[in-house]
Amino acid sequence: MQATETICIKPSITEVFSTASGAVYQCDKDNCWYIDFAGKVNRFDYRCLHKLRKAVYHIDVEALLLNPKRSADMEIVFICACDHTYILTTLEIIALKELLQGTFTMLELNHIIYDRLHRLAV
Amino acid sequence: MKDIMRIKCLISTEMESLLNQQIRKEAQSSSIYLAMASWCDRNGFDGSSVYFFKQAEEERQHQLRFFKYVLDMGATAISPDVSGIKIEYNSFREVFEDALDQEISVTQSIKNIAALCHKEQDYVTMEFLNWFLKEQREEEHKARRALELFEVIGEEGTGRWQIDKHVGDIKYDSEA
Repeated sequence: MQATETICIKPSITEVFSTASGAVYQCDKDNCWYIDFAGKVNRFDYRCLHKLRKAVYHIDVEALLLNPKRSADMEIVFICACDHTYILTTLEIIALKELLQGTFTMLELNHIIYDRLHRLAV
Repeated sequence: MKDIMRIKCLISTEMESLLNQQIRKEAQSSSIYLAMASWCDRNGFDGSSVYFFKQAEEERQHQLRFFKYVLDMGATAISPDVSGIKIEYNSFREVFEDALDQEISVTQSIKNIAALCHKEQDYVTMEFLNWFLKEQREEEHKARRALELFEVIGEEGTGRWQIDKHVGDIKYDSEA
């Protein structure tokens, strides 16, 4: 008879923030984030997540909306030294911006909680 | 959920951005002093030229201090592009007036970083900034004293020659 073993795996993936168009998960085991957006899930480390935020925040949505040219309504979000590239419409850019803003607010909140509760108490 | 942001970096994003602005400011100061050294040299003020060369080098060292600090804290230090440096001055006195303005502007900008340190309770960066606050006392004193030479000696006759000769002697040795 084979002995059954119970393995307790501590869940290391936590949802950081989600909207109707996507979600961001943090993996404590690998110190990275997974962004589920525009039909794909991409892995970002600390540096790449910052680069993505910078790239997305720098897109001037107002200028895109007011642009009278009848060119394709697409924007390429390319991040240097990162495996992922996003090709997004203006609406998707707004949605990604919202997702990232929420994510960074939650990460900031998590940092405050850590500072106030855990680091002072230990 | 782990605080990965804090594990990777000691300073906040706002602090990182402000420190990078300061890196740019110090680089700009260094370039401005170099332009002043060039103008003084071209116009026969050798003593002042040497003085400004020295100041340019000091500002460069300040820039590198900030640069290394940002990197040491786990953030991204950005090598700045500096352009639009004024190369012509209307008078010898104007060079020193601009030098004092530049120092006042640097002091103000360091005070802004200190204000953010207090707001965020970032005492690590505050401790790092203390050296710069003290340094600014010296920098502003030297720039102000140089301008005072124009009042004390006067520009008439061989006045400008005298000023140029004494600029290099300005020292700040306060123990306070």
